[in-house]
Amino acid sequence: MKERIAITGMGVVSPAGLKKETFWANLKSGRSFVDEVTRFDATLYPSRIAGQVHQLDAYSHLSGRLVKKIDVFSHMALVACQQAISDAEIKLDSIDKNRAGVFMGNALGGWLFAETELRDLYLEGREGISPYMASAWFPAAPQGQVTIYYGLKGYSKTVVSDRASSALALWYGAKVLQDGHNDYCLAGGMEAPVTPYALLSANTQGDLSKNNLTPSKAYRPYDLYRDGFVIGEGSGIVAMERESDARKRGVEISGFLKGIGFSCDGQHYAKPSMNTESLEYAIKECLKDCAWSKDDVDYICLDGEATETGDILEAQALNNFFGMSLKNIAMSAPKSMFGNLLGAQTALDVIATLLSMKNNLVLPTINFDERDPRCQIDCTPNKAQQKEINRALIMARGRGGINIILGIEK
Amino acid sequence: MSMKEEIIDLIAKTLDVGSDEIKEGVSLYDGVGVDSTEMVELSIAIGKHIGITLSPGEVTNKNTPNEIIEIVEKKKNG
Repeated sequence: MKERIAITGMGVVSPAGLKKETFWANLKSGRSFVDEVTRFDATLYPSRIAGQVHQLDAYSHLSGRLVKKIDVFSHMALVACQQAISDAEIKLDSIDKNRAGVFMGNALGGWLFAETELRDLYLEGREGISPYMASAWFPAAPQGQVTIYYGLKGYSKTVVSDRASSALALWYGAKVLQDGHNDYCLAGGMEAPVTPYALLSANTQGDLSKNNLTPSKAYRPYDLYRDGFVIGEGSGIVAMERESDARKRGVEISGFLKGIGFSCDGQHYAKPSMNTESLEYAIKECLKDCAWSKDDVDYICLDGEATETGDILEAQALNNFFGMSLKNIAMSAPKSMFGNLLGAQTALDVIATLLSMKNNLVLPTINFDERDPRCQIDCTPNKAQQKEINRALIMARGRGGINIILGIEK
Repeated sequence: MSMKEEIIDLIAKTLDVGSDEIKEGVSLYDGVGVDSTEMVELSIAIGKHIGITLSPGEVTNKNTPNEIIEIVEKKKNG
């Protein structure tokens, strides 16, 4: 039997707070942390609202010398990693760094650095571009920066798989621990899409809410008047190790990453299949991997894309698969409060769910005013609800029908 | 400000470290851990500031600030 992988530390850099304690306090209040984009002129963008991290520097431990060499997505990942290491009480001086790895998820890369430097290249010629450009922008840059910063030399990897990137990164890190190649792992994701080009690209994709006049009301999954999701920036990182090692260290265990199910719709490069078989297959595979029955699940952290297709298909798949058992399962999309962080989102969903388990509280889906009759699920509208959660599923879906389901337990 | 002060100040500003950390007779690598990429940045910054072309190969992180000043003065005058 596979050894369970324990989550012993959490780091959060999010629009809803830059530490797990603040993140939790803000989320349980059911407020929105979405606001207008003002750091550059986004006036003509169809969607110009986002969940933004406003106080990164105040929480940062990095020197100015390092910060100017890296993109903000690496900066956010380094701050979240520092929190996770500290939370897990890992003494970096006394571990074998050859057996500590970093597994990251990212969808877009570091565009703020790239946009600025490429502009300078075109304006000033080759001497206008920063020599750090080459190592700053690409999706695996944060993984590299974290390993260099802490001198970690174990097997490490970055996964790029749209909004399911960090789900796969968590699983990959856990598998390498299970197979005995690493003893410690930092895993999660980071995303910084609130830049002129990245936000423009995300707009082109067409699934973002255009409710610019009332940003706090814009992200409304499963509501009849939804018009897309809101993009967010930030990083979520967990520290993981084998259960036996965590018990030996006597460190607090927040929960266990138990299993995964994956599938791919295999139909279109951007759109999901209108048939829910593939998503249901991923849920079935996850339960099998976790050795759980349908009735073992207490909570589902929903994908909550807030598009007509995404919400209806998700609700249909859950009803088809769980049938009557779904009535006993609490469900919600806490990301409705702070935006979807794309490649970093699942890591924050896992952290929010672990905190829900600890506090016996189901976080709400906010801005739910009028049910779409085609989405027959109880998404814990607007207000947190007390409930004991021992086992949970996390839904992560990416463009083109990427379906990743994670199972976590207390 | 003398050329020496100017260049030491520029090195400190470019690296985002204090001027007192830049020791005239200690190599940039040994003194403040300058890596090869930082050296590219430094050579471009110094070249732009003085008005000369200084390619990365002409000054390296094994050089001390004194040696760099000597190279810069030779290029400027020669």
